Amino acid sequence: MKILALEFPPVSHLFEWPDFAFEGTPLAMNKTVLVYLFAFALTLGLFLLAGSKKGLVPRGISHVAEGGINFVEDSIVAQTMGPDGKKYVPFLTTMFFFIFFSNIFEVIPFIQFPANARMAVPIAMALMVWVIYNFLGVKNQGFFGYIKNSLFPPGVPKALYIIVTPIEFFSVFIIRPLSLAIRLWANMVAGHLLLVTFAVLSATLWDSTYVGAVAPAAMLILMTGFEILVSFLQAFIFTILTAVYMGGAIHPEH
Amino acid sequence: MKKRLIFASVLAGLILTFGLGGNAMAAGESLGKCSVDDYVEKYGELGLTPENIAQEENINAIGEIFDSCIEAPSPIIPEINEVIWGGGAFVVLLALMLWKGFPAVQKIMNERSEKIATDLDEADKAKSEAQAVKSQYEAELADAKSAAAAVIEEARQQAEVLRSDLQQRAEAEIAEMKEQAAADIDTARERAMGDLQSEVSEIVVGAAERVVEANLDAEAQARLIENYINQVGSN
Repeated sequence: MKILALEFPPVSHLFEWPDFAFEGTPLAMNKTVLVYLFAFALTLGLFLLAGSKKGLVPRGISHVAEGGINFVEDSIVAQTMGPDGKKYVPFLTTMFFFIFFSNIFEVIPFIQFPANARMAVPIAMALMVWVIYNFLGVKNQGFFGYIKNSLFPPGVPKALYIIVTPIEFFSVFIIRPLSLAIRLWANMVAGHLLLVTFAVLSATLWDSTYVGAVAPAAMLILMTGFEILVSFLQAFIFTILTAVYMGGAIHPEH
Repeated sequence: MKKRLIFASVLAGLILTFGLGGNAMAAGESLGKCSVDDYVEKYGELGLTPENIAQEENINAIGEIFDSCIEAPSPIIPEINEVIWGGGAFVVLLALMLWKGFPAVQKIMNERSEKIATDLDEADKAKSEAQAVKSQYEAELADAKSAAAAVIEEARQQAEVLRSDLQQRAEAEIAEMKEQAAADIDTARERAMGDLQSEVSEIVVGAAERVVEANLDAEAQARLIENYINQVGSN
């Protein structure tokens, strides 16, 4: 594909990686799978290491694990679910770290690929969240109570239910998991494309002009920093929205 | 041992990613290579020959091969292998975290919170004890101060008494000494007057004798002397 005379790889080639093990089977492994496995190992390793370090003052890796738990507890659960949400902190913390580590590989040298730029985990986790919040809604409000509170929000004039109820139905039961998954996926795709664009631009202009590469290289550095922020932010947003949906199912009055 | 195991696991993960991932890391093939590969692969299936290759249906078929390389599969449709690995990794991770990872860290955090709470309680207790001791010391200090003040006051009063006593005694002594001195002066004056009187009488008598060169009788002498003395005294 020629764009402005630059050799730009086809977009699919930036996201689809060749299998290197179990090719052609449902267990085929590629770079995306490796990043997921690495995010798995990092999250578990982080907590097991932090859990093996005792001391009055947390040091090193304990800061990250304990800071993560406190962050999820104070900034996510306490804000959206209240005291009842405390028992979901382990689930949300795991979710946060797994997404964050999957994302942050976007800027890790030699890997440089955010696994969540593939739809697999975002949609799998979003469906899991969909099942969990619907289950919590039915459990806490009863089946009919949950349906009633979801589709007929209180305080709305009855005539408006003709409009509001279908919107709420689509919003709560269909759009939520999709928006959750697509938000994460699309942000990581866009970030990866941005970095690749500036990297290809820098390399090409370096080959031809040297000086011309300065501006795109500066942008590449800037965007790399920005993508670190996006990696964190998207993990945070996915987790806090999950907490909001779960909190809404537990406390319909909020 | 546990730490080594964890370290080895992380190292194995790194080797797995960087080692096995080496091929996977290579960016995908180019459009040209994809097209030629697919063309070569399907060359036989299409039954292409140099004669029929220019036919419209074959040109369309070859065009589709090239198009298939340009048209990537929909990126929004998840790959089943990635769903299995990624979703599975998350579910297994969640299970392991709930079982081991999270409780281990939570336990340390809770123990720390309890220790801090206990230490704070103890510090509060120690503080209130110190406060009590301080108040006791302050009370004792206040007592000591008032006792000292009382002692000083008493001393002052005693000193005052002593001072006035001494003053009185001194004044009495001074008065006595004054009296004594006055008496001594009187005595001395009287004695001096007596001595003076006899001295003067002798001088006067001697002088008179020499002046009149005649003896007077005792009575006339006395009278003369008396007159003379009076005259001297009035001068």
